[in-house]
Amino acid sequence: MFGPFRATNPLSGGLLWKIPWRLSKFQKRRHRLRLRAVDSVVATLDAALAKRGQTLEAIERWKAEMPTEEEMLPKDKYTMFDRKEKKYRKGIHKLPKWTRVSQRINPPGY
Amino acid sequence: MSFFRITLHRSAIGLPERTRGVLQALGLRRRMQTVFHPAEPQFAGMIMKVKELVRVQEVERRLTKGEVKAERTPEKGFYIEKAVRRM
Repeated sequence: MFGPFRATNPLSGGLLWKIPWRLSKFQKRRHRLRLRAVDSVVATLDAALAKRGQTLEAIERWKAEMPTEEEMLPKDKYTMFDRKEKKYRKGIHKLPKWTRVSQRINPPGY
Repeated sequence: MSFFRITLHRSAIGLPERTRGVLQALGLRRRMQTVFHPAEPQFAGMIMKVKELVRVQEVERRLTKGEVKAERTPEKGFYIEKAVRRM
């Protein structure tokens, strides 16, 4: 029952990962700051090229398709579509490498 | 002629080979390393590929390695914030 060889879930079953189902308020804040950092990089590139009268397809596509941090709904900021989940949504922190990839848009209607 | 001042802020460990290849092409090998590239569409496209990992500024000229280091080196010596009366 007690001691170093007690039968707890992680000891008997091997892997037991506990990932909270939602982000904490601190995680959310850091996530917003990361979103804004990406927005500022794109804005810097766009402004620099616009000065020279040039543009780039990747930047134009990003501006056309991707909402900025201010434009995003909280639902899209902190959760993402998943067809296997109840109500089709899971926390964005379930996405592998979620702090270093851009995941901003979800299927329309979900 | 302006330049992009690119600093690698997040490591690319565990990211796809393509992403790490872009960083290598930009000359970024370690975190907080800074490189300068001309503000041209081809470099902007490369930065777009790694936009989650880098911080970018537009600057007028290339700084040397020494100048970049001098920016983040604190001043030598000390200063007195508030003089305390001697006993």
